[in-house]
Amino acid sequence: MTRDSAAPCLSDRVTGMALSVFTEIGHLLETLADSGEPGSIDLRSLPLSDADRAQLEEALGHGEVRAELELVGESEVWETSYPGVWWIRHRGAGGKIATEEISICPIPQILITHPADIEAAASRLRKELETTHV
Amino acid sequence: MSDKKTLGEMLTERGVSRRSFLKYASYTASIMALPPTAATAIAQGIAGARRQSVIWLSFQECTGCTESITRAHAPSIEDLIFDFISLDYHHTLMNASGIAAEEAREQAMKDNAGEYIVVVDGSVPLKDDGIYSTIAGITNLQMLEETCKDAFAVIAVGSCATFGGIPGANPNPTGAVPISDIITDKPIINISGCPPIPEAMTGTISYLLAFGAIPELDHLGRPKAFFGEAIHDRCYRRPFYERGMFAKSFDDEGARQGWCLFEVGCKGPVTYNACATLKWNGGVSFPIQSGHGCLGCSEPGFWDMGGFYKPLSTATGDPLKWAGGAAVAGAAIGVASAAMARTKRNKVLKEGK
Repeated sequence: MTRDSAAPCLSDRVTGMALSVFTEIGHLLETLADSGEPGSIDLRSLPLSDADRAQLEEALGHGEVRAELELVGESEVWETSYPGVWWIRHRGAGGKIATEEISICPIPQILITHPADIEAAASRLRKELETTHV
Repeated sequence: MSDKKTLGEMLTERGVSRRSFLKYASYTASIMALPPTAATAIAQGIAGARRQSVIWLSFQECTGCTESITRAHAPSIEDLIFDFISLDYHHTLMNASGIAAEEAREQAMKDNAGEYIVVVDGSVPLKDDGIYSTIAGITNLQMLEETCKDAFAVIAVGSCATFGGIPGANPNPTGAVPISDIITDKPIINISGCPPIPEAMTGTISYLLAFGAIPELDHLGRPKAFFGEAIHDRCYRRPFYERGMFAKSFDDEGARQGWCLFEVGCKGPVTYNACATLKWNGGVSFPIQSGHGCLGCSEPGFWDMGGFYKPLSTATGDPLKWAGGAAVAGAAIGVASAAMARTKRNKVLKEGK
């Protein structure tokens, strides 16, 4: 058997893939600015090495907004230093990254409260008020 | 039993937000190789669906497929699938036994006629009237035919159910056959592997729930999202193959350096599965990353292909016949693509100079 360290021998190499993704983000951001059409890139589907991922994250930087979500495992969403470009990271079992995407939009869907949840919340609050005598 | 409420209504009552649906949908879209923008449609589809009745039949099998889909870990996004389905019968997992268990199966069939999904792991023995495997006093053949009669679709999981697997290996003493040899009047989705990747099973069920349709399948009835590419094409050791750098044995310098395992029997070039991208155990690793060649467990007849440690080029079996035309064509395309890529790269380098 090979030693374990032999396996990830390519994971720490910069392959140039980050630059390709960065370029694609640029095109999608221009489309958003021109027509308002949002776009997304699924990072998990791309053969990014750990080094590529780090390079892309560094290139995009961090902007003004950062959110941590607690829903069936943790999720992190932040706007990069390029407004309209969001990094969305969903974690699954054991805190491992389940899916990760770059979303080019005014605000990611995952941050918007769904009408069904608002309705359920209103109903729950109404019941709470009915049983509470302040 | 299936609930009459939609999954959205049911889970909202339990405090599961639509954000959770969207997160699950993003995960499903990613593993199904759909564009991230499909997540909203998937979330809406699942939220509007009823809880799906599933009857799971286990025949000539080792329970590895069930182990794979129920792998134990902390509650997380991957577990939501168990809220989306109603597992009405699974004789390994259900509390009921004997007559009560069989009544649960019959009740689910009656309540959800035409709508339930049958998942099958294990092959079905036909020799000597199928006497080599029986459950509740009837043969596997009888139970399969009876249960599938009013099903919406059948999902064969694992290489035993999809291609005969180990029970069907030479000399196949029980006359084991795959499900598709018996059920011919229902849509059958094959999710092969020994065991199959859990995400391939849950992703396929989620797709059925969200879109009410069968995902695109390959020539062997497998979802292309998971079986559309050879292990070799997505293998991180592929660059070593291109450069002709091969481990000659499991303890030589090439093996220690992580070179290509083709010459020690890796079947990656003719094996279609998502191990190299989805990996195993929550994305930790897959056989090649752990230093062992791919066995080809998701291809028909993998057990009889001539030896796990013999290179494809010298295997005693007929790898071309074993792998099937499309698989070999895929490998050939991969080689051709690599050659084109090399030509293009050389041209770019030359022009750069």
